[in-house]
Amino acid sequence: MKLLNFIFFSLLILGLASCNDDPADTKGTVTLHFKAVYDDIPLQMFNNRPFENGQTLEFTHLSMIISDLELLKQGSPELLDEVEIVNLTFDNTTAAEAGYTLTISGVPTGTYDGMRFGVGVPADVNAKKPADFSSGNPLSNTAYYWTPWSSYIFMKTEGRLDTIGNGTTDLGFALHTGSDALYNILEANIPLTVQDGLETTMDIVIDYKKVLQGVDIKANPQNHSPDDISTITAIVNNLAIAFSLVL
Amino acid sequence: MMKMGLQLKTIRYAGFIGVLLVGVISCHDSIDEPQIPAGDLTDIPYNPVPYMLDVPADFPALEQPNDNPMTVDGILLGRKLFYDPLLSIDSTVSCATCHQPSLSFSDGLALSQGVNGITRRGSLSLINVGFHYSGLFWDGRAKTLEELALIPIEDPIEMGESWDSVELKLRNHDGYPADFRKAFGIENVSMVDRYLAAKAIAQFLRTLVSGQNSRYDRYLRGEILLEENEINGYLMFFNIDPSLPDAQCGHCHNAPLLSTNDYFNNGLQESPDLYSFRDPGLGAITGIAGQNGFFKPPTSRNLVFTAPYMHDGSLKTLEEVVDHYTSGGKNSPNKSSFLFNLVLTESQKSDILAFLLTLTDSTTLTNPAYQSPF
Ligand code: HEC
Ligand code: HEC
Repeated sequence: MKLLNFIFFSLLILGLASCNDDPADTKGTVTLHFKAVYDDIPLQMFNNRPFENGQTLEFTHLSMIISDLELLKQGSPELLDEVEIVNLTFDNTTAAEAGYTLTISGVPTGTYDGMRFGVGVPADVNAKKPADFSSGNPLSNTAYYWTPWSSYIFMKTEGRLDTIGNGTTDLGFALHTGSDALYNILEANIPLTVQDGLETTMDIVIDYKKVLQGVDIKANPQNHSPDDISTITAIVNNLAIAFSLVL
Repeated sequence: MMKMGLQLKTIRYAGFIGVLLVGVISCHDSIDEPQIPAGDLTDIPYNPVPYMLDVPADFPALEQPNDNPMTVDGILLGRKLFYDPLLSIDSTVSCATCHQPSLSFSDGLALSQGVNGITRRGSLSLINVGFHYSGLFWDGRAKTLEELALIPIEDPIEMGESWDSVELKLRNHDGYPADFRKAFGIENVSMVDRYLAAKAIAQFLRTLVSGQNSRYDRYLRGEILLEENEINGYLMFFNIDPSLPDAQCGHCHNAPLLSTNDYFNNGLQESPDLYSFRDPGLGAITGIAGQNGFFKPPTSRNLVFTAPYMHDGSLKTLEEVVDHYTSGGKNSPNKSSFLFNLVLTESQKSDILAFLLTLTDSTTLTNPAYQSPF
């Protein structure tokens, strides 16, 4: 098992040019399991977890939009999925351990240099709105659009917090990220091999303890103002350490 | 008793057509004229005229199945079927009994009244139902309007009929075979069936649109101004002004349909765990316990006509609705985190109410194209 943290796209240094193309027209399958954990434990909704400062929290909904999921290859990355709403809201451990599965068949065989995807949607897409998409497209989902900000909701992290540690959750929180400036591209540079007729399986694990690291939920349970995005910016900045790719 | 009545009717019409055609055929047999099969409809012209729906500017495109494009005659047939109690076991209940145009296609009852008692949930307004692409009914159990339109007829409480019987009634009716011919080009009476009936009803339902005549829509287009309290309500409903409290509504009742593609637990049912909801809603359909108690957020348009509110009709007035949300609702593990004590002043609550009323579009109640043809 190899574990690799994602880095920001901006920090990317292109690795060795290790593309040795296989003969044309051979294809394999890539299966990705997106998994939410909290402090390495599969994350089940509606269950208490210790948070910072003696507070406890429970999650009620976790999801995100993933865009431009690609396998990297110098010059010509291989697009696996243009856009996907990855819903990580699981009410039992079995489902949480299995995660959200994405299977892409017909992926050209070869050794790739890594993987890249965005959390949210890029600015050109964010300039559109749900009504611009047909119902089969995930971006037609109005539940992932926030009209007052003219932005898609990139990532939803919702739950309840026990602010005084007395065993009852007394504060609902809904931390939704969005807006062009907070679109975040993550990249893992590690050789990934897709073989003819075979399935390559990878886990994309996101640790919500790290996602919320340093976030004062009690003070900012929701983001109300487009002019004050410090809380959701902190979340977005945490994503690179929160995500890891497990082979 | 009912069955007997039907059979009699069947024999009368079927016998009539049969005898007539046999007569014709035997008369002309000798002079070699083309034989006309029983139930032939090809004499009736089939000239389908595509219907272009006037979709409000911000709405998503209206999607129609490839095999059921809207036509003028398809919609007329659908409307007739929608208003015809012939579709129920004892000819007392039509779709419109529980979806009345004067009540924005709902019925004013907490739970609906069918041929055989009271339904398990309240009726839903059918305004803009053609744009619901992520499931129909409170629990999303029907995917398309074509699929849905088949259901009420055979629901033992709602209409209590069987489609076999309705098909016979339609085939033997003196008007419907011609209507089906005009709508779908069928060549023979025997081709009148439940699937075409459902397609026609679905076409009619897709015409029920509200999105440009309410004061809210006209305000957005810059044609009118709203009162200050209405604007306050608008700003809180959608959380547009950070200096006012967020009433949270817009997360689940999003513009332009004032609904979303998602399902939520909005705190109507108290439940200590995921398994004790009186009505599990979406969870019973998906089998996901975390979705027990989840329902579709109905549109906030035309609410003034659709009381009482919620799937169980438990909230009688819009005041009760606003109180429900501001109090945070009843507890259960998967209650949406948008439901908590909102701390709104009485005047802010009444501003929300004032805004909700700007979503009223009474032209949908009087539109002649939506009315009963009978
Ligand atoms: C006895 C009353 C009754 C009759 C008759 C009836 N309905 Fe309904 N209708 C309801 C109720 C109650 C619901 C909500 C049920 C649920 O969600 O479980 C509903 C829901 C619907 C919906 C879903 C709307 C949405 O937003 O998802 C449609 C569409 C609909 N009915 C169309 C029809 C049609 C077409 C007919 C005739 C073929 C019909 N109904 C007959 C009571 C009735
Ligand atoms: C968490 C999502 C959510 C939020 C926030 C929310 N709603 Fe709802 N709303 C729903 C759902 C789901 C239903 C249907 C619930 C049911 O019947 O089980 C509903 C139903 C309603 C109804 C009843 C509609 C009918 O035809 O019966 C009204 C009115 C309403 N909401 C208004 C509001 C207002 C006003 C606000 C803000 C104060 C609001 N909602 C906030 C999800 C939400």
